[in-house]
Amino acid sequence: MADRYSFSLTTFSPSGKLVQIEYALNAVNQGVTSLGIKGKRPSSLATLSFQSKSNLLSATNGIVLATEKKSSSPLIDPPSLSKVSLITPNIGMVYSGMGPDYRILVDKARKVSHTAYKRIYNEYPPTRILVQDVARVMQEATQSGGVRPYGVSLLVAGWDEGIEPPLEGHDETGAGRKKTEETAATTASPEIETDAEQKLRKSGKTGGVLKGGPSLWQVDPSGSFFPWKATAIGKSAASAKTFLEKRYRDDLEIEDAIHVALLTLKETIEGEMNGDTVEIGIVGSPADHLLGYEGVEGAQGPRFRKLSKEEIEDYLTNL
Amino acid sequence: MAFIHPSSLLPSSNPSYSFREGIKSSAPGIQEHRFSPYADNGGSTLGIAGKDFTIIAGDTRQSSGYSINTRYAPKVFRIGGDDDSGTGAKIILAVTGFAADGNALKERLDSMVKMYKYQHGKDISVKACAQRLATILYSKRFFPYYTQAILGGIDEEGVGALYSYDYVGSYEREQCRAVGAAASLIMPFLDNQVNLKNQYVPGSGVGHDLKAKAAEPLEQSHVEQLVRDAFSGAVERHIEVGDGLQMLIATKDGIREIYTPLKRD
Amino acid sequence: MANPMSIIGKNAVAIACDLRLGLQALTVSNDFPKIFQYGPDVFLGLTGLATDVQTVSDLFRYKVNLYRLREERDISPQTMANLVSTSLYEKRFGPFFVNPVVAGINRTTGEPFICGFDSIGCIDFAKDFIVSGTSADQLFGTCEALWQPDLEAEDLFETISQALLSAVDRDALAGWGAHVYIVEKDKVTKRLLKGRQD
Repeated sequence: MADRYSFSLTTFSPSGKLVQIEYALNAVNQGVTSLGIKGKRPSSLATLSFQSKSNLLSATNGIVLATEKKSSSPLIDPPSLSKVSLITPNIGMVYSGMGPDYRILVDKARKVSHTAYKRIYNEYPPTRILVQDVARVMQEATQSGGVRPYGVSLLVAGWDEGIEPPLEGHDETGAGRKKTEETAATTASPEIETDAEQKLRKSGKTGGVLKGGPSLWQVDPSGSFFPWKATAIGKSAASAKTFLEKRYRDDLEIEDAIHVALLTLKETIEGEMNGDTVEIGIVGSPADHLLGYEGVEGAQGPRFRKLSKEEIEDYLTNL
Repeated sequence: MAFIHPSSLLPSSNPSYSFREGIKSSAPGIQEHRFSPYADNGGSTLGIAGKDFTIIAGDTRQSSGYSINTRYAPKVFRIGGDDDSGTGAKIILAVTGFAADGNALKERLDSMVKMYKYQHGKDISVKACAQRLATILYSKRFFPYYTQAILGGIDEEGVGALYSYDYVGSYEREQCRAVGAAASLIMPFLDNQVNLKNQYVPGSGVGHDLKAKAAEPLEQSHVEQLVRDAFSGAVERHIEVGDGLQMLIATKDGIREIYTPLKRD
Repeated sequence: MANPMSIIGKNAVAIACDLRLGLQALTVSNDFPKIFQYGPDVFLGLTGLATDVQTVSDLFRYKVNLYRLREERDISPQTMANLVSTSLYEKRFGPFFVNPVVAGINRTTGEPFICGFDSIGCIDFAKDFIVSGTSADQLFGTCEALWQPDLEAEDLFETISQALLSAVDRDALAGWGAHVYIVEKDKVTKRLLKGRQD
């Protein structure tokens, strides 16, 4: 009976499942482990004036994406294989699951970031928008005829222009600025202040200024997506996540995040760990040396870049 | 005609600033060539009358389409002077439009004013000269001078006088007037700064109850600065205006000229 | 149909338009604003064919609403400018007969921003002022002469008002009062200028 539903992608089973999607997840869970960790967001900067803030934030902010690069044969030339990919200058991604499917998604993500966004607004999409667009591509493969779901889960890391949301429990930044305006205008009574605060909490969601900073997302074959502080996907996702839960702290510097990433990977990795078998991508401060030119005012290098073999080996020796 | 010759796409095929009209093809294989007696040489002039002076100014660029013929071709002239340099003149004429017609008109008015002096033994008044200019223009009612003229001087009461004309002699005495290519740019500025249009006494009411500021006679130095501002603005936004600014100032003591460079781009 | 214009000041921008709607010499309405708001501090002025002014303003209402829902943020004036440009260029061979003007303050940088467009989306990024409509020539003259850098909000209001009123008074196809918006950080002031009613 179950077989009747398992081959038609677009038919629900009586229990409410689309089993082809479950199978796709199984493919992911057999894949090589990948992980992502979001680095520190310094709370001291929350009180800075809002013009200078976005520049200062970039110095210590970041995300790390890491994965193991396994080769089935010693004859394979490792540098020509790449699992961490740049999508836009500030967004990169990594996968667990089926490599060929991933490459299709990378192509589509790069394309959609232009067709659905840059060609309209002349700027690259914010991370969440790109994640949504890629998730739509993956969802459509679960509802269309003649196709199968993508056999991959993705980790997408990106950095967005704009003001960062205030940390919980800290003085609100953009909000604080507005609040003084409102109180001044209404010769503050406590009730009005509370009203204003509530309004601000609402506008914090849609207000536009509170949207900058780093973010890390996971996208699954079903097309569902989740934001994470740190997570792992693939074969050893469960144990890696348990490990991350222990090692993750809110004030992790990017250097420390890379360290934690390598430690986590070490727990799950099967072969040797070196610059050829580990791949790392980071979202950090603008890498102006990657621009290919200099002396153009206002030009900013990509925030997403892959670490070189040498850089990775430096981190590994300090492990 | 199946093939359009490239020259018909060039600006020079436009009749407004060339003696040649665009090539027309009325039937296949037949081309019609025509000559136009008029051209537009661009440029702008303006005049402002003060309590005891009149300033008439013009840029010195002369152009044909996108080409500059010369960077120094005066459009503002002394009328009725004793010699070629115009010494002794008391009346100023400025012309824009077709430069050849402007020059012809200037020569004709100049000789008329001289003839007046020989015949009457006294200088012509600005008022009479203004009327004379109108009759000259109207005498060519059916083949007009393609020029817009302004005429200025000191009237019989010693007050600055300014007259502006259309192509065929319709004229009016005014406080200020901008003429030529950049007239539409300069005129609203003069309305605002010379006649104080749209300026109100602060706090004198709301909406239409506001009391308008009354225009008062302006200092000569202030007017000179207005003229400079008007032209430097026009130079920025109109390609036919530029190179140099010629300002002729008529007072009871005669006519003084100030030349200042303008942008040459 | 007449004209909006916008000018830039110190930490502020102003955008203004007259109120006449006409068919050539025939005045159809004397209360037809041509400035539309698309965010707390983003404004769009539209001149040209009245039906296109309405269609285009509604089109951007739809596009900006979708943007806000999708991105959970307000559109910045720069992004608005690029959206206007690409939307107009989509109609490259059957354009809307409009000449838009964008004015606003970027909330992230705090910088004022203005720009103008031709009817197929070519952007004019000006540092001083943008004019559009039947009185464009007159406005160029008045703005060029009256504008100066770093005008504070009140002086900006006086400058744009004098420039607009004097300009439309020399254009038979424009006038009948005006709307003026002064956009400052976290504050927008809208004023009605009566102007000549003839």
